[in-house]
Amino acid sequence: MSHKPKVFKKESITVDFLVEKLRNRVKIPLESCNDQTGEDRKVTESNLHRPGLALAGYVDLFTFQRVQVLGNTECQFLDHLENGARIDAFRKLCEYDMPVIFLTEGNRLEEELIQICTEKEIPILVTPLPTTEFMTAIREFLLDQFATQMSIHASLVDVYGVGLLLVGKAGIGKSEVALDLVERGHRLVADDVVMVTKKDEQVLMGSGTDLVQHFMEVRGLGLIDVRSMFGIRAIRFQKRVEVVVNMELWNPDEEYTRIGMVDDFYEIMGAQLPSVKLPITPGKNVTVLCEVIALNHLLSNYGYDPAEVFAKRLADRIQSKGGNAPSRGIEYFEHDYE
Amino acid sequence: MIVREASRFASDFFIEKDGYEINGKSIIGVMTLAAEQGAELVLLFEGDDEVAAADAIAALFEEGFGEVK
Repeated sequence: MSHKPKVFKKESITVDFLVEKLRNRVKIPLESCNDQTGEDRKVTESNLHRPGLALAGYVDLFTFQRVQVLGNTECQFLDHLENGARIDAFRKLCEYDMPVIFLTEGNRLEEELIQICTEKEIPILVTPLPTTEFMTAIREFLLDQFATQMSIHASLVDVYGVGLLLVGKAGIGKSEVALDLVERGHRLVADDVVMVTKKDEQVLMGSGTDLVQHFMEVRGLGLIDVRSMFGIRAIRFQKRVEVVVNMELWNPDEEYTRIGMVDDFYEIMGAQLPSVKLPITPGKNVTVLCEVIALNHLLSNYGYDPAEVFAKRLADRIQSKGGNAPSRGIEYFEHDYE
Repeated sequence: MIVREASRFASDFFIEKDGYEINGKSIIGVMTLAAEQGAELVLLFEGDDEVAAADAIAALFEEGFGEVK
């Protein structure tokens, strides 16, 4: 397919959304120092900034549009200044339209300084967490928020803990296979529209969309709500995408792999995922094949490659016996005739 | 209706709204767009019968899906 699917990412999040998520999802204790909630203030990038030099008066290259973190250094620097100089330095800093200021390690600022922030409508919050710990947590959250995403027409199922992404043309039976896998005790992440987020260079996380979640559409049956039909054990909200199963109609001209199962890669947003091309023919139980693909992926994760093991066994045999005719796998049949 | 019409053609069909793109042959996909009347959509066709498919879908929009008069 030459068509390039669209990749998108969030352009901004509001400060009140950031604070709410940090409190409730990331579980960072945060206390507001002023009554600014920042509903209309926007964070546009995942980088953080510690405005030490800006406080000292050097404001060239001051990246004020980032989230600002005042740690011990900045707070002690402010403390050591004379009263007038302190207010001047802080007022200068607040000339810049910073989205939000966080104070770490429970550092407090004087009421006069907080007042300056309030005038400029800049929310200022304090956390008891140490600076580096806080910065790691908030950076992780912001990276996720501004990660590249795309929607893929596929099904994502957790099979024995392996995230299998079923792709293929419309109508080939992705949903049916996903349903069959659910019936066998595996867990559905999303059907039809999978939202994939790039977490790391080679790590992709998949989930459903907020609207559809675990509904699926099966041709001839209509809409099915997997969660209410099969219960909570049949679903997952997120799963890493680990193996791509590429379903396609059997094509006699195409060569399918016969020995090594995973030898192909499928690219999604620059990440190379191992993929298996699965020809669909009548009478083939694709569900069981999917389970085997997942188990094989687990084996290879633990360093076992059946093709390699077999090749070694063959080589040993050729060396030791000089290519005798193959003999029975068992030396002597005992008398139980089983 | 869009999905039914699009599925008659062999061409791939994508719909895009606000940078979010889905497969136009999937009912769930089209529903996730939650496109209201007056929403701006980009339709993309690709394949051997892309022109015929585009015409058929465009006709659907022009007729207002048999609802809007």
